Amino acid sequence: MSSNTASSSAGSGDSSAARKNSKRPKYSKFTQQELPACKPILTPGWVISTFLIVSVIFIPLGVISLFASQDVVEIVDRYDNDCIPAPARTNKVAFIQGAAPKSCNRTLTVTKRMKQPIYVYYQLENFYQNHRRYVKSRSDSQLRSPKFENQISACKPEDDAGGKPIVPCGLIAWSLFNDTYTLSRNNTPLAVNKKGIAWKSDKEHKFGNKVFPKNFQKGNLTGGATLNPDIPLSEQEDLIVWMRTAALPTFRKLYGKIETDLENGDTIQVTLQNNYNTYSFSGKKKLVLSTTSWLGGKNDFLGIAYLTVGGICFFLALAFTIMYLVKPRRLGDPSYLSWNRNPGGGR
Amino acid sequence: MVRSSSLNGDSSASHRRTPSRTVTLGHIQPQAPSCRTVYCNDRDSNMPVRFKGNSISTTKYNVFTFLPKGLFEQFRRIANIYFLGISCLSLTPISPVSPITNVAPLSMVLLVSLIKEAFEDWKRFQNDMSINNSTVEILQGQQWVPIPWRKLQVGDIVKIKQDAFFPADILFLSSTNPDGICYVETANLDGETNLKIRKALERTWDYLVPEKASEFKGEIQCEQPNNSLYTFTGNLVVQKQTLPLSPDQLLLRGCSLRNTEYIVGAVVFTGHETKVMMNAMNAPSKRSTLEKKLDKLIITIFCVLLTMCLIGAIGCSIVTDREDLYLGLQKSDWEYHNRLAIGFFTFFTLITLFSSIIPISLYVSIEMIKFIQSTQFINRDLNMYHAETNTPALARTSNLNEELGQVEYIFSDKTGTLTRNLMEFFKCSIGGISYGCGVTEIERGIAQRNGLKVHEEERSTGAIREKGFNFDDPRLMRGAWRNEPDPDLCKELFRCLAICHTVLPEGDESPEKIVYQAASPDEAALVTAAKNFGFFFYRRTPTTVYVRESHVEKMGKIQDVAYEILNVLEFNSTRKRQSVVCRYPDGRLVLYCKGADNVIFERLADGMDDVRKVTREHLEHFGSSGLRTLCLAYRDLDPETYNSWNEKFIQAKSALRDREKKLDEVAELIEKDLTLIGSTAIEDKLQEGVPNCIETLSRAGIKIWVLTGDKMETAINIAYACNLINNDMKQFIISSETDAIREAEERGDQVEIARVIKEEVKKELRKSLEEAQLYMHTVAGPKLALVIDGKCLMYALDPSLRVTLLSLSLNCTSVVCCRVSPLQKAQVTSLVRKGAKKITLSIGDGANDVSMIQAAHVGIGISGMEGMQAVMASDFAIAQFRFLTDLLLVHGRWSYLRICKVVMYFFYKNLTFTLTQFWFTFRTGFSGQRFYDDWFQSLYNVFFTALPVIVLGLFEKDVSASLSKRYPELYREGIRNSFFKWRVVAVWATSAVYQSLVCYLFVTTSSFGAINSSGKIFGLWDVSTLVFTCLVIAVNVRILLMSNSITRWHYITVGGSILAWLVFAFVYCGITTSRDRNENVYFVIYVLMSTFYFYFTLLLIPAVSLLGDFIYQWVERWFYPYDYQIVQEIHRHESDASKADHLEIENELTPQEARSYAISQLPRELSKHTGFAFDSPGYESFFASQLGVYAPQKAWDVARRASMRSRPKVPKK
Repeated sequence: MSSNTASSSAGSGDSSAARKNSKRPKYSKFTQQELPACKPILTPGWVISTFLIVSVIFIPLGVISLFASQDVVEIVDRYDNDCIPAPARTNKVAFIQGAAPKSCNRTLTVTKRMKQPIYVYYQLENFYQNHRRYVKSRSDSQLRSPKFENQISACKPEDDAGGKPIVPCGLIAWSLFNDTYTLSRNNTPLAVNKKGIAWKSDKEHKFGNKVFPKNFQKGNLTGGATLNPDIPLSEQEDLIVWMRTAALPTFRKLYGKIETDLENGDTIQVTLQNNYNTYSFSGKKKLVLSTTSWLGGKNDFLGIAYLTVGGICFFLALAFTIMYLVKPRRLGDPSYLSWNRNPGGGR
Repeated sequence: MVRSSSLNGDSSASHRRTPSRTVTLGHIQPQAPSCRTVYCNDRDSNMPVRFKGNSISTTKYNVFTFLPKGLFEQFRRIANIYFLGISCLSLTPISPVSPITNVAPLSMVLLVSLIKEAFEDWKRFQNDMSINNSTVEILQGQQWVPIPWRKLQVGDIVKIKQDAFFPADILFLSSTNPDGICYVETANLDGETNLKIRKALERTWDYLVPEKASEFKGEIQCEQPNNSLYTFTGNLVVQKQTLPLSPDQLLLRGCSLRNTEYIVGAVVFTGHETKVMMNAMNAPSKRSTLEKKLDKLIITIFCVLLTMCLIGAIGCSIVTDREDLYLGLQKSDWEYHNRLAIGFFTFFTLITLFSSIIPISLYVSIEMIKFIQSTQFINRDLNMYHAETNTPALARTSNLNEELGQVEYIFSDKTGTLTRNLMEFFKCSIGGISYGCGVTEIERGIAQRNGLKVHEEERSTGAIREKGFNFDDPRLMRGAWRNEPDPDLCKELFRCLAICHTVLPEGDESPEKIVYQAASPDEAALVTAAKNFGFFFYRRTPTTVYVRESHVEKMGKIQDVAYEILNVLEFNSTRKRQSVVCRYPDGRLVLYCKGADNVIFERLADGMDDVRKVTREHLEHFGSSGLRTLCLAYRDLDPETYNSWNEKFIQAKSALRDREKKLDEVAELIEKDLTLIGSTAIEDKLQEGVPNCIETLSRAGIKIWVLTGDKMETAINIAYACNLINNDMKQFIISSETDAIREAEERGDQVEIARVIKEEVKKELRKSLEEAQLYMHTVAGPKLALVIDGKCLMYALDPSLRVTLLSLSLNCTSVVCCRVSPLQKAQVTSLVRKGAKKITLSIGDGANDVSMIQAAHVGIGISGMEGMQAVMASDFAIAQFRFLTDLLLVHGRWSYLRICKVVMYFFYKNLTFTLTQFWFTFRTGFSGQRFYDDWFQSLYNVFFTALPVIVLGLFEKDVSASLSKRYPELYREGIRNSFFKWRVVAVWATSAVYQSLVCYLFVTTSSFGAINSSGKIFGLWDVSTLVFTCLVIAVNVRILLMSNSITRWHYITVGGSILAWLVFAFVYCGITTSRDRNENVYFVIYVLMSTFYFYFTLLLIPAVSLLGDFIYQWVERWFYPYDYQIVQEIHRHESDASKADHLEIENELTPQEARSYAISQLPRELSKHTGFAFDSPGYESFFASQLGVYAPQKAWDVARRASMRSRPKVPKK
């Protein structure tokens, strides 16, 4: 906003004409800064009741979610180490990359009755599915429609095989998890339903039902599972689940569901094909069987958090009430004003 | 003084002389050696020279330069450069985010700024257009033809009517006034409202009517355009006759014509070549202190950013492992080989990722807030609207709003700022009796502080009230004085007032219409008083003063009496008195004398101790009420004594050497054995509410310094009147009027004088400082005040003494600097600004305050009455000094509070956001994977969290306006900068860390397993969207938690922002495009909302994050409350409506009681201050010479000049 004397001459030139008009600003609540407003002051009453209200709401919620979590039965079995034959354990990478049979048997014991559906998960640890290089190595348009088969620029280094585009391209698809589990209870096979394990939206919109795998795993190095080139991607639910990349390096993915109840004391034999190489980066592999409640899986955190916060609030309300009764400070005591406390001095 | 010189001949000589009397407002421009020749009334002859046109342009840009120049301006801001850099980085493959993340906000910010620039420039353009299109009449053929200003050309003959502005610099040819003079008002140039006389050359007086003017063929040879306002040299060649031209013939653009029907002139300089345009200066743009501190904060944030990136880079280079097969690292990738390269590239990757830590929209938001604050709140505040002059307050810049909330030192001009420059005869004391019923502002103030309500007293119905006279006492008025104990003495007083002065009467010789031209307004007031007492001075000749006396004794008979003035003994600052020897028509010889009390008392005849004592008491009382007093005395002379003395006087008068000194000595011989008549008290009318305002401001912890060109007595007097100094204070007076200095001055050696003064000043300063420190150590020592005059100040500002001066003056509660030049005003201001690093504010009204206004952090101009110069240089213009209370305590304090909160909030919200990203980086192997979707990240700042903070910056109020003024002490929080300390930053940073941790950890920890009954699992984007949602809610609701005043706009914007996020998420997650993009967040929000888990976290996380802040705020309020919080509590039950009555005081007394009480409360015995003050004409010429203007040197010159005019001036039609 530059000023100069010329505009001054102009200003007063205009003003001589405008002098008859009053320059009195018009009244409005906005310009006079008198808009009606609520002026909250943290008085003891307000503070105590806020704490009480929070605790009254949070404690029941905590109890509810804790109960929900307690209902969930979860069986976790880590197998990455045990499924390597003892002699091969000195060089696990060589074993997993070698041609030796990878079959492995595990036995799980049900300690509490599990109502169907029982979900089968695999859990990987120290696997950075959220690594920048990894996350971006996919082509969503290619997955959705055969038209965009050639949009593979983001997929490096798994973009093409011998000049032909790989469908689905990219590191994510390439590293598809390929351990398989076969479950049986008391020697009777347990059916694992692999349908309906992916989010519906993924299945219907992100993975096209006319897109079929092409040139997949044909490169120099095989990363993981292969795909049946005759089934469209929208039906390849393992891939769909895998490609919804996890947020953290420890993650679970849904493998399938068991649609029969498991009773307390049942033993479950798992025959698994230990194909997936997590050994080179010392990643752990676990198999998880879990039921769910309305709030999801085993998750004590929410309940505990609600209870803790509610408890703290209740405690603070109590503490403040006691403190207020024992050593009250009068509201608006002028002796607290800095110029009264210490004339001339500062706070 | 001949200022014109032959241009061809000794132009070098004139150049040598010019600088000494040249004052320029801008920088001095080198003058081209050549001259310009203008052919009047002959456009064709002027054609070849191609003078510039008369249209002006003050715009910054035009259509073509707007974009490049405007963008360049924008990128001068470091923050914008930063974001430009980040945007470039994000175009490279190392960026984890798409360019849109950084480009979108940057372009948004640039767009808003450019629109603002364009709007402002458009307004300037329109302003220019309206000037360029205003019309002026020029001569074409034999007729006056109106044309727009812009078509005016050099050499045109123009006609300017009364009250019109001159469209260009014009050579004055003729005027409707017979003696070829016209009056101009130069208020726009120098702020002086008194009219200047310009006189045309006699040779050109006749060219007035069009027929005659068309015959005029002249040739003007003059200097090239330059910016010196007070010089002009040139010749006018008319019919082979060369006439020298002087500034008297030049009418400058920007001035206006007054009291003259019309004038005719020839255009000399046009458009940008006019002197006023050459002086056009861009006021140095000021940045507020808070903004400078903000820069430091930004730099700190930047360092934090670098640290974060460094941590990430180191982490990445350590954890990146080529055995992570799933990353598909090829041997050709840099990541495969070199850990240093990994670190290096990751560093830049992370910078683009964390760039949001620096709040890009901060500057633009602050600018918007400040713009609205200044245009809507300050400019439209009804409390700062002055109805009498129809002037609202005006914020000329919106940069400094919050600076107003931190001012610690106010430098104030006196005349026109504190006072109205209006002297009123207020009281008098005759023969030991005090007359006059008025109550001064200061008495009223003291009474009010003591809990009394003083009514504006009812004036007796017939009381005379006119300019310069505000006196009412039934004992004296209407001739009632003849019933007083000593009517003869009263008569002497009135005669003394009517005769002993240097005033010139002008206009009709009737009491109603006469106008007194006086060198000082005091004199005019005294003569006006005499008139109202029935001694009407109406005519002066060099030897006679005519007084029309109403002789009440003779029942209203009026008699014209001619007093012969034999001698005039002039006033000067050493004599401090003025005498006149006059002869009555009946032959009585009397010497009338008026002057300072001490000077008069020394020269009184013996005896009359009672009257003397009582009069002194009255003087002290007058003085402490802030009145300016003069003592009056007379002496009857017998002819012999007089004649012998007169011989000596004539001798002294014709002396060639030391005339002044000799005259003084001769005067001593006759000014003795005086008889005391009494004293007068003149009120230097203060602006309304000044003492109260000063009292309020000093309670607010603001120190007020008065810098004035007045004499020391006057300055001290005003300081008393304004409550800056009172008798309880310890005063240090450093004056150049000491014997030692005077002696040195008489010896006359310049070097010697300088040395002596410097020594004296040094001595005085040291002594005062020691004493001051002594007082500072005692607990209840008196308050200190420093009075220093300009000459001493010149030496005290010397680098060797500056520190002493500074530490002394900082210990003083009030400082008065008198007789200071405009430059010294600026020096004092910058002494405190730079030396003490305090925030300063200067307030003034005239051209002599411009330098001071520009030197201070905040410059305030008084608008509405005087000229525009101070206003044009100022940052804020208000109509009255008292509006400072509103401007500082209300607007300033709120602005400071608001801007602090806005800055802190911005800092907090961006830090919180970026930190969640930072925590996530730890769990991605430091790869720099982004946590949020690109669009979320870019819209977070400019959309989802932008509006509530602006509402906060507009509507936040800790306490209401009336409470702000009622508890001025609250202002000290601003002076201490309580709300923008590193401690406060640390608290907000802690809050940001806490909230980001809560948001990040709670979600990531709890979202690990199945999150609904069908056992499905969240992916990365589900988690991040959930965190983002929690963050938007927590950050927005935080606004409500930190607001002291929540309007419905708060609810609307906070609710609206959260809603905007949800709506955006619904739309954005619901669409797919055919573009090749990662549709990571497709359907995510719907997936989230299909789970109970989502709602459980949505309640838990914002609540937990805000609970921390809630507890902190509560603990702070309860155990370490701020002052404003206590005030809030005190007045928690009051609604805003009841605010007006806070200052009402219950016990009301009748005016009489109130006055007597007020007077009884005044300090008495301590006083040595008797209030003498009289503006000798000398001081005006002091300034005039500084400004290059030549004013008459002596008061008597005025009289002499007038007496040379044969007939009394009759106003013309």
